[in-house]
Amino acid sequence: MKILIVDDFSTMRRIVKNLLRDLGYNNTVEADDGSTALPILQAGGIDFLITDWNMPGMQGIDLVREVRADPALKHIPILMVTAEAKRDQIIEAAQAGVNGYIVKPFTAGTLKEKIEKIFERLGK
Amino acid sequence: MGIPRRDELLKKAEQLVMALRADDEDGVQGLLADLTRERESELFREVGRLTRELHDALANFRLDPRFSELAAQDVPAAKDRLQYVMRLTDEAANKTMDAVEEAVSVAADIGQHAGNLYKRWERIAAREQQPGEFKTFFVELGAFLPKLMEQADALNRLMTQALMAQDFQDLTGQVIKRVIQLVQDVEDNLVATIRMFGQMEDYRRSMDGEQEKNAAAEGPIMNADTRDDVVTSQDDVDDLLSSLGF
Repeated sequence: MKILIVDDFSTMRRIVKNLLRDLGYNNTVEADDGSTALPILQAGGIDFLITDWNMPGMQGIDLVREVRADPALKHIPILMVTAEAKRDQIIEAAQAGVNGYIVKPFTAGTLKEKIEKIFERLGK
Repeated sequence: MGIPRRDELLKKAEQLVMALRADDEDGVQGLLADLTRERESELFREVGRLTRELHDALANFRLDPRFSELAAQDVPAAKDRLQYVMRLTDEAANKTMDAVEEAVSVAADIGQHAGNLYKRWERIAAREQQPGEFKTFFVELGAFLPKLMEQADALNRLMTQALMAQDFQDLTGQVIKRVIQLVQDVEDNLVATIRMFGQMEDYRRSMDGEQEKNAAAEGPIMNADTRDDVVTSQDDVDDLLSSLGF
């Protein structure tokens, strides 16, 4: 299970990476915005995408749309972890095709719960 | 009501008609000049008044030296200050995470070591040990205990490191306070400028008006409690998503 973490703040990437390690996911790669994430995704081998929304360069929501529009990538589950908390945005993210949405600040428990829920659904 | 200086004007007009009837060219010119002079002097008075107001406004505008100071010094300094806040918080977060990651691995090591020893202690307690096992257990326990003391010290040091990494709060707090003061000064100056240009109506309307509602990224919401277009917790997010069939 290879997970790509996309966030413009290295500290947030580090926190997510540590939490994932606790959950038993040791294989992670990082990118600092959508435009650096996309080539990593296109190179293949990414099984799960965790992305922030607000980033310089390509925003997370646009990355979600790019991934969902690409036949080679559209199956990848996406969890959005962001400070964006407007109802319209959550609806927009859902329509763009995210599998889960976490608002910052969040707890280790929330991250675990959402990831497990996504896998549970995909497993069905 | 009534036309101002009606009688005077009427008299002039009658004189003008008489002069025209009498073909008195000089008289006509003179009376026309009199009548237009009335108009012109009013116009001049008005232009004079506007000029004075404009002059005062420009003088006031130049009067506030804070304006140049804000643009030339304070705003660039505020940018540096905020960069400093970014740097300090970034360093603090990384220092804390360095300490935590190291502590996690020390704790894991202690746990694993103690777990191994405990299994063997249980075998010995149940008198199931192999010949000579007690001796090696005793030797290993002897090595483990001082190591445990060392690791307890290490954990202590790492926790202190994590604790001390929080010292940024005081420094960034001071810096942010000054930036807040600057933003207040800029606001006051902007409002004063708006007032000077007579745009207070627009300003008040903008103040009362609804905040722009769109899905553009806004970052953390500071006043979530007073807004109805934002969620305030992960539970709200989950409810919203499940109402959408998620």
